[in-house]
Order: sequence, then C-alpha cells, then structure tokens
Amino acid sequence: MNMNKNIKYLSYLVVLLVAFSCKKPYLPDLAATANNYLVVEGFINGGNDSTFIKLSRTVNLANSVTTAPERGAGVTVEGNGKTYQLNEIKAGVYTALPLNLDVSQKYHLRIRLANGKEYLSDDSEVKVTPPVDTVTYQTKSDGLHIYASAHDPANNTRYYRWEYNETWLFHSKYISNYKVMNGDVVPRTVDEQIFTCFANHTSSTVALASTTKLASDVVSNAPITNIIPSSEKISMRYSILVKQYALTKEAFDFWENLRKNTESLGSIFDALPSEIKGNVHNTANAEEPVIGFVSVGTMSTKRIFINRDDLPREWMLQYPYDCSQDSTLYLNPTTKSNDVAAYIISGIYLPTYAITGPMGGPAIGYGRASYQCADCTLRGYKRRPDFWRD
Amino acid sequence: MKKFYLFGICWLFIAQFVKAQQPVGPAISVNFQQATIQTVVTDIEAKSSFRFYYDAAQFDSLKITLQATDKTVPTILDLAFNGTDFHYAINGHQVFLTKTKILQTTLVPGFFGIKATPGVPAAPLSPVTAFVNDGDKIIPEATTENKLYEIGVKTNTIEAGKATLSGYIRDIKSGEAVTGASIYITAQKTGVATDQYGYFTISLPKGRHLLSIRGVGMRDTRRQIILYSDGKIIIEMMEQVTSLKEVKISADKVANVRAVELGVTRLDIKSIKQVPTVFGEADILRVVLTLPGVQSVGEASTGFNVRGGSADQNLILLNDATIYNPSHFFGFFSAFNPDIVKGVELYKSSIPEKFGGRVSSILDVTDREGNKKKFAGSAGIGLITSRFNIEGPIIKDKTSFIFGGRATYSDWLLKLLPSAYKNSQASFYDFNLDISHQIDDKNNIYISSYISRDKFKLNSDTSYSYSNRNVNIKWKHNFNNKLFGLFLAGSDRYQYDIASFDNPINAYKLKFDINQTNFKSDFTYYLNTSNTITFGLNSIYYKLHPGTYGPNDPKSLALPDVVPAQQALESALYLGDKYDVNDDLSLSFGVRYSLYNFLGPQTVNNYAPGLPRSSTSLLDSTTYSSGKIIKTYGGPEIRLSARYNLGDNLSIKGGYNTLRQYIHLLSNTTAIAPTDVWQLSNPNIKPQYGDQVSLGIYKNLKSNTIETSVEVYYKRLKDYLDYRSGATLVLNHHIETDVINTRGKAYGVEFMIRKNTGMANGWISYAYSRTFLKQDDPTVGQPVNNGSFYPANYDKPHSFNFVGNYRFTHRFSISLNVTYSTGRPITLPTGKYYYAGSERVYYSDRNAYRIPDYFRSDFSMNIDGNHKVHQLTHNSFTIGVYNLTGRANAYSTYFTQESGVITGYKLSIFAKPIPFINYNIRF
Repeated sequence: MNMNKNIKYLSYLVVLLVAFSCKKPYLPDLAATANNYLVVEGFINGGNDSTFIKLSRTVNLANSVTTAPERGAGVTVEGNGKTYQLNEIKAGVYTALPLNLDVSQKYHLRIRLANGKEYLSDDSEVKVTPPVDTVTYQTKSDGLHIYASAHDPANNTRYYRWEYNETWLFHSKYISNYKVMNGDVVPRTVDEQIFTCFANHTSSTVALASTTKLASDVVSNAPITNIIPSSEKISMRYSILVKQYALTKEAFDFWENLRKNTESLGSIFDALPSEIKGNVHNTANAEEPVIGFVSVGTMSTKRIFINRDDLPREWMLQYPYDCSQDSTLYLNPTTKSNDVAAYIISGIYLPTYAITGPMGGPAIGYGRASYQCADCTLRGYKRRPDFWRD
Repeated sequence: MKKFYLFGICWLFIAQFVKAQQPVGPAISVNFQQATIQTVVTDIEAKSSFRFYYDAAQFDSLKITLQATDKTVPTILDLAFNGTDFHYAINGHQVFLTKTKILQTTLVPGFFGIKATPGVPAAPLSPVTAFVNDGDKIIPEATTENKLYEIGVKTNTIEAGKATLSGYIRDIKSGEAVTGASIYITAQKTGVATDQYGYFTISLPKGRHLLSIRGVGMRDTRRQIILYSDGKIIIEMMEQVTSLKEVKISADKVANVRAVELGVTRLDIKSIKQVPTVFGEADILRVVLTLPGVQSVGEASTGFNVRGGSADQNLILLNDATIYNPSHFFGFFSAFNPDIVKGVELYKSSIPEKFGGRVSSILDVTDREGNKKKFAGSAGIGLITSRFNIEGPIIKDKTSFIFGGRATYSDWLLKLLPSAYKNSQASFYDFNLDISHQIDDKNNIYISSYISRDKFKLNSDTSYSYSNRNVNIKWKHNFNNKLFGLFLAGSDRYQYDIASFDNPINAYKLKFDINQTNFKSDFTYYLNTSNTITFGLNSIYYKLHPGTYGPNDPKSLALPDVVPAQQALESALYLGDKYDVNDDLSLSFGVRYSLYNFLGPQTVNNYAPGLPRSSTSLLDSTTYSSGKIIKTYGGPEIRLSARYNLGDNLSIKGGYNTLRQYIHLLSNTTAIAPTDVWQLSNPNIKPQYGDQVSLGIYKNLKSNTIETSVEVYYKRLKDYLDYRSGATLVLNHHIETDVINTRGKAYGVEFMIRKNTGMANGWISYAYSRTFLKQDDPTVGQPVNNGSFYPANYDKPHSFNFVGNYRFTHRFSISLNVTYSTGRPITLPTGKYYYAGSERVYYSDRNAYRIPDYFRSDFSMNIDGNHKVHQLTHNSFTIGVYNLTGRANAYSTYFTQESGVITGYKLSIFAKPIPFINYNIRF
C-alpha cells in the first residue's frame, strides 16, 4: 500500500492515543493577498469520448465563492500536425467531440485567454488506460468500502487514478399522497409522486495507486470510497460508476501532491505543504504559477449496483432530518381554527394522509409533514437515469 | 582500619612537638637469623627501654636477618626494615611498627608556624592514600574537613616547585564516581573538575592547600592537604540532603563563572526528576527543552533543535553510544530510563574537540555506576509505564552492575479509543545494563549496553517497529599521574521495519538499518599547572541499509527492491589545550581534523555539471568495488574559547567553533517521523558544515547560590538538506535528484538565572532566537520562496521557561513548570480554487504564518514516605497535573476538504489538565 498513507494513519494514532486531544475549527486572520492564478482542469480524451477542459481562477480564501470561471478563451488540442477546437458550452467549460487521437503521437493543449495571454501544456503521449477488471465492495463495521482492481499485462500503466459517479435511489420519510391545488387539497397522481427519487454525487477525493513496487502491473482492491452504514445512499439501491485513468509519472506526482496538500491530516508527521507544479505554462513567463495538469489518454469505466438486501440487516438508515407527522384538522376542537388552511393550504407543510371522521365520509383533515420529510425532489430528481437497471 | 587511624589521630594530639627530644637509647648489639618479629622485639625490649606496639598479623611474613654491633635502636630498625614495606615510628620510649603506612608522631612542619627542624631521617615513604570519611558518625564533620592530609613523599622542608595531585571522588554511600565535581583552590585561583569517571588531576605548588570540593547534588566539602610531591587522594562525598535549618554557602560555587567553556549546561537527575511531565515519569528530553536555546516543533515530537539547528544535527550519546532515535511512542517518552541516568550535559556552543560529527550540539547522557557496596534497587509505577532497576556489587568495592528496564502497558489507552482503533497495539520497552570494574587503581573497565524497541500495530493493516541497540566497552588507564587514557570500542545500531499484511497482493515488508562500529581513544595530559592537553583519535565505520523492500506474503506481488548498502569511514584526530594564561585569563583551543571516506562497493551516478540533478542530466554511473575509497571529504574543525575574570563572581567568555557533519536524516515532515531514513554523504551529497561565534557574561550572586548568564550567538549552516516538492525519501535510488542544498543562519540571545541550592531551587530562562533557511543552490529550478530566506519550522523567536521546586520539608516538595513560546511557523493557504470535485487550497510562501503562541504550566507534588533508615523499602509518590490551565495549545493546524469544502482546523493534544500519579519504591 501507499507509504504516505500509512504515515497518515500513524498520525491519527498519535493524535488519538491521547484521549485528551481536541480539534477545533481554525480561521486564521490572513492578509488578503491578491491571488488570481489560472486553474486548468481536465483531460484530453484521446478515445471515443468527449473532452472537457475547465478554466477558472484562484480566489482568496475568505471569498465566499470558490469558482471564478475564465470565459471567452480560445482552447485547442494540438499535435500530429492537427488542431482540434474546443467550444465554450458553459461559463469556463470548453468541450470537444470525441477526438480519437493517434496513440503513437504526442499532443498538448493551447489556451489563449481573452486578455491575450497564451498558455501551453507540455507535450504528452496518449496514455491508454487498461480496463477496470472489477469493482468490488466489502462491508466492514464502519461501513461499505468500494474497491477497484485492474491490471496491465504489458506492465506499462503503473500509475492509476480513479474518479467516480455515485447514483442512488432513496425515498423521503413520509409519503405525501395529497397536494395543494387551487386552494384545495387533492390526491396526487402516480406521476406526481415525490416519495422515491434518484440522487447522484461526483467524487471529491483523489484516489490513486501505483504498482511500481510490484512485480507485475496489478492493482488489487484499491480503495475508491467509503459509505457509512447509516447513509441514505445505501438505503435502497446504489450504483457507482468508476472511471479509471492511466497516468504518467509526472501526472501521478501532481495528483499525489494535490492529495497531500488538501486531504492530509496536517499533523507534524505529514509532509510540509509544497507547491503544486502542473504541466501548463505561460508561453511568455514560465515563472507564472498555473495550477493544473492536463493529461492525454483514454478512460475506462465500470459500473456496479448494490442493493439494500446485499448489506447487513443491522445497518439502519439515519434520515438526514428530524421528522414528525401531525394531524391537521379543518376545525381544531380546541382553538376552533382551520388548521388545514393555516398549515397546509398556506404551503408551510405538505399533506401526507387523509383523516376521516368516525363515520367515514370526506376528510376532516390531513396529516402534515415538512417538505424535507415528504418531498424527495428537494435533494434528488425523479427522472430515471438511462443506465439504471432494477 | 578506621580504628587504627583514630588511634593515630589521638596520638597526634598528645605527642611531643619536636623529634629531637626523642631518646635514641643506648647502643646495643643484635644478631638475628631468619628471626620473626616477636624474636626481634623481645630481644630489643630486653636490651633497651623501648616498648614496641604492632599488629602481629601484619608482620607474620617478615623474617629478619641482621647482625649489628653497638648500634642505636633506630639504626637497628632502619637496617632491619630497609627495603621492606615496614616502618617504625618512635615516640618517647614507644615504638610503633606499621606495614605500608607510616605513623607520624609529629605534627606537620609549619602546623604551628614553627619551622621544622631536621630530625630523624624518614625511611622511604610510600604515598599516603587518605581515606577520608565524611559520614562516620564518630568523627565530627569539622574534624574531618580540618584534618591535614599529606600527599607524596614527605620531606622535612617543603621544596619549591610544583607537584601533581591526582584523585578520585566518589559517593560515600554507593561508591559511585562523582562526575563533574569541581575541586577549587581558592588561594591559587585554580580549579579542576572530575571527569566522567570521577578522576581529576591538578598541578599545584608544593605546600599546604585548601581544596574546596563541590559536586552537583553533593554536599560541599573541603580537604586540607600538604603536597610534598606527586601523589593521590581519594575523596568521598556525601549526597546532599537539603537542610531545613540553614543553607550552607560556600565561596567556591564558581563553575558557572570560572569554567572556560560557554553554552554548556549540566543537569543531574535530581533536578530532572523535579520537573513535572505529562505522564508523571521523569523525562530527560522534556527537561532539556526547558533550557534556553533548545526548541522543538511540538509537544509530542522526536528530537529537539538547538540554536537553530535541525534535529539530526544533535549528537545524542548515552554512555558514549550514539542513540539515533531518542524517543519512544513518537516522542511522548524519552528513551532514557530516569532511574539509571545520572545526569546530562548539553553542549550548545563550546563543543569539546573530542566530540564531533554533528553541527549543532552534543547531548551527553551518562548512566550511574552500580552501587559497589550493597544491593539496591527501585521500581516505579505510572499510568502508562513501569520501571524497575537493580544495582549492586559483583565483587565488593571493585565490580558493580546496574540494570534498568521499562515497559508499557498502554494498550488500555487504545481501548478507550473509537472502535476503529480497538484492535490497535502499541508498546515499547528499553533495557540498560552497565558493568563497571576496577582492576586496580590505574585501570578501570566499563561495559554499557542499551536496547530499546517500539512496536505499533494499527487496526488498518500495518505494523511498525523501531529499535536502538548499543553496546560498548571502555578501558580507562592512568599511565601516570599526568597522563590518562580512555579507550572505547563499541557498536551502535538503529533499525526500523514496516510490514503490511491486510491485502495479500500488496503485503510488503520494508526495513531500514544503520550500524556504526566505533573506536575511540582519548588522552588527557596534565602538562603543568597552566596547561591541560587533550588529544585522541576517533573512528566510526558506518554500514547503512537505506531500504530493503519485499513481499510479506506468499501471494504478494511486491517486487523486492533493495537500495544498495552504503558504507563509510569517519575518522578524526584532535588536539586541544586548556591554557591558564594568568589568574584571570584562560584559553581553550583545539583543532579536530575530521576525514570522511565514502567506501565501495557502490554505483555512483554522474550528472552533467551545472545542471539540476535529474534523470535528464544523468550522464552515466561508475561502479566501485568493495573497500574502494569513492570520495573523501575532510578538513579542520576549530574549537576556541576564552574566559576572562572581571572579578571574583563575574567573567566574560567568548568562543568560536566549526563543525562538520557527514550523515543526514532525510525528513520532509515537520517533526522527525520514526520512518525517516539516514543518508551518508557521497559524491553527490555534500557534508554539512556549521560555524558559530558566541559571547557570554556570567555572574554569580548571593554568595554564588544564584548563577546568572547572558549568551549571544550567531551561527551559519551550509549544505543542510531540504527536499523538492513531492520528493519520495524512502526507497529512492537517486536521492540526490530530490535534495536541495540549503543554507541557514541563526542568531539569538539567551538569559538564564539558576539556583541550585536551598529550599527553593530551579531556573528561569528566556531566549530570543531566530533561524532562517535559504535555498541558494543554483542548480535548483524553483527554490522555495524564490531563493530568499524563510523561517525554519522551529523558529520561535521568544521562549520563556520557569522550572521551580520548593521543598517544604524533607518529605514534601512542590514543583511548578511554566513554558511560553511564540508559535512555530506554518505555511497557510492564501487562495482556493475548485479542482477534481472539491475546493482546493493554494499555499503561501513557506512558513509565512505562525500557529498561536504556546503556553503551558504544570504542577506536581512529591511526597516521600518516612525517612527511617532501617526499613525494607522507601516509598515516594508524585502527584501532579500537566497543563494546569488546560490551554488548548495548537499542535498543528491544517486545511482539509470535507464534502468538497475547505475547512481549517486547529489540533491540540493535551488540551485539558491531565492529572497523573506515579509511585516509586526503593529497596
């Protein structure tokens, strides 16, 4: 396994060894330094997939927004005597259709900013990524662990990076069978149900592995992500798409450094933060810091599904919100007020079930719950993704 | 024996003053053939009025053959005892016969200011060894101190010129040598200190002297001597028991002011034990950190920084063995067992020429010698560790041993942790075994050995262990009264290994070790009163295995990877002289020529000159065969210091020294991690070089009970190693491509007030110090901070320490420890950006910011059981609180992304008051 990672565990131990330790938020009073460096994120996809390049700028730490997109740049992929144009489809996001590059050639990225500055990435070979052999999972006391395995029979890949997209099916705490329409409470149709939704999430950590210390180029169960037992992600059905990228040594060093600088524990056994050097340079001023590493290569993916039934029974979902249902009557016997109008028709709460009188007949009121507890669309969407299999 | 002397002393008082009055009696004739002493005595008693007194047992081997006609009794006795070990003394009509020693029936010449008249010529006198006894209850202390001891071959008139007095000072109770005791002759304004083994030699004018003897933790004492010619003395000192009634003040507690060297601090284990520590166990390194000029990067970290040096620039010696990792548990405990250690000396500035190999400091830890008189031991129980030690004679008064061991039972602590760590294990132990043997009064043998081991197993999948192993043998030989030699042979080893076993495909084992074989010879030659010469030759052979990596499971695919072993020979020849120019000016100058050979077998990469070393500038490599000298570095190191007295209690000192270091610790973490590797200098990695100039003023106050000092220094470092961003230090086959030569400068001023005696004792220190580093290697593409100076990790400008102990009674004392320092520098993010699904941070210039200031106070109470002498065991308790105010000092700060958002955290360890209790038992 990765040595640095183990040192990190050591640090955990040192800190935890002493039960007297404590961790508090820390907001240093930093002088606002002007820093406004170009950030280039993306990957020249040499295979049969689209290429996306995101351009942005660094912002001050105290700034409330993180993203400062760089618009209006001219972005091209160049190499083998050809030039491929990328188009800005969203603020700061530039894309090109599948490039199908020649894997025997070298390519680079050229960026011309609106202010005239020009940047080039280093020439790079097209790294062909071997297929993801398996995506597996294990259940441990602390949750679900997802792993990826791969190998390269030619022993050429050696450096791997993974990203992932998680998609999961979940439901809200209560079923809202009714809705408010035109000042009245009416039943929902099947299409209008807001009980079951899909949600997704893209990786935010850097998963890396290197096999340089192994006799053959085999990645065995590299950790991709962990999910705690009470997570909503695994409350019904969960799917993960693992994207695998082969890296050059330089790219691996960049990602490793990025991970160390932003994901390490920061104990005194962690390496000192160090400058992250990418492979993009200002053509006029090589000293200008430019953040980002543009790799050229192909990507391979693998998707798996995990059902709630596959996981330990004792894992209980912890619903993310405190929820309760209350009865809401048209005529409150104590206050004599119309609670349905006050709480439900006003839109403060969602109606969940109907309350009928002792003799039956029309509803004399409804159960009510907060939106967070009865509307899954607040944090998900209902459209079933194309890849989803039941 | 003692009775015999008592008898003699009594006689001294009733004896007549002048020998000339003694009768010689009538001339008699005798004829003895192989006669026993009885026969001789009976015969002479029959023929004269003399009466003989002697111990028949002492004379049973004596056979006398003598024929004499008409001779006086003294003449007959002279003839009879000529050339033997037997002596006589006549007082009136009484004749005392003695073996070996001569009984003086007169007071010494000049005792009453009367010039001695020539009397009976003395028989050839053998040197007197005075067994001085401070502790004998029958003799009042004053008598002993006022007794006059004669040294050398007695002459009736004191000759002009000088003679050499050499001696040995030991503890009356344990027979153990007293190290670093000062012997001071006030009238001559000269003095000397005992060496590590309790010996001293001083050259003095012949005649009467008053020796004032002072040892750390020992009761001050005096000896009166008459020095006739070169001779020896053994002085026994009593351990100091702090008196409630009065504090005895001596006029000669002057080591602080009078010693030539500067920047040297000595601590005995007693003052170390008074300082409260986190788990209640006395910790040498924690106390060293309270001295001015000593810093560390955090509360629980291995190593310390002296005057701006990095942690690997300290040579840490335990009984002359090099300890590569002086900590247990990542720095929570120091590796030295407080029950075995006698004391420590820290050399920050004037590093004696006999030491070398590191550019910042020498920390010299010495163990006690075992009790030569009786068996004794102690045991201690703390919250995390237990200790045990036993010592005693193997051959009474000649050979003794001391054994100490410590072990942890810390697993219970881990059990308190979150379940993820429940199956973790952490443990350590260490053992010391030292043997000292006195062959005769010229030869001593000392064997010392040390082993420590730390082991961690984490729940995850990885186990770590590291270990120190040291053994050495020393032979101390007195060639004569002027020349002493010490010869040492030893071997030191440090190793660690990491094993992973969770995933069989990746299971690996990584090992590192460094071995050194040492040979040392140190000589001290007392040329004359003014000059003490030291010289010697030291050699270290290094064998280092930088990394051996391999599979740890039959299914493992881990590819064996071995970074080839490195070997080198470091030798040094030194010569130094301590020269007392006059009463006020003393100089110490020395030169140490160190020579380093990097040896084969090795394959060395050659790089294009002038270009950054990288795989692209690699030209080729050269392979050298075994034993071949690949690269030689070397040069002179200068050690100079001078002291000038401005008055009895005031002096100024200055010093300059240069040092070279051929071994480097590769570490790119803030603190030393146990898995950092050492690296030898080679053709691509230059040795480190440091020099320092320092100046100090020393003043003793209140009759020398309070020592004060101010020292300033300026220090430069060259070719200290820093690392490129993202450098891998372990299993790196071309480490030279990842290191950056760095230059450093450090300067500061240190104030210290120390009181060693009395009910209240302790010290206060304040230091203002700065340390900066700079990457000026022209072959480095993008140096840190664009090649300008940046503060080092341990640059803490202000640091203040108070260490105090107040003894209410013999059985109860309290200690308080207060520490304040500026927070250490850190590198903080100044910008952020979005990358790979998360906010990321962009870091400022290296070490441009600081963590919040550090403040901590600790308190402890030491309660001793009753002090009755005749009981089986003596108990004591230490109860205290670490971090009394519960201040959450920042241990580190960090910025990490959580769910895609950057959050800053401040981590504190020991963030609450931590109570502790420690129980000790002595037997």
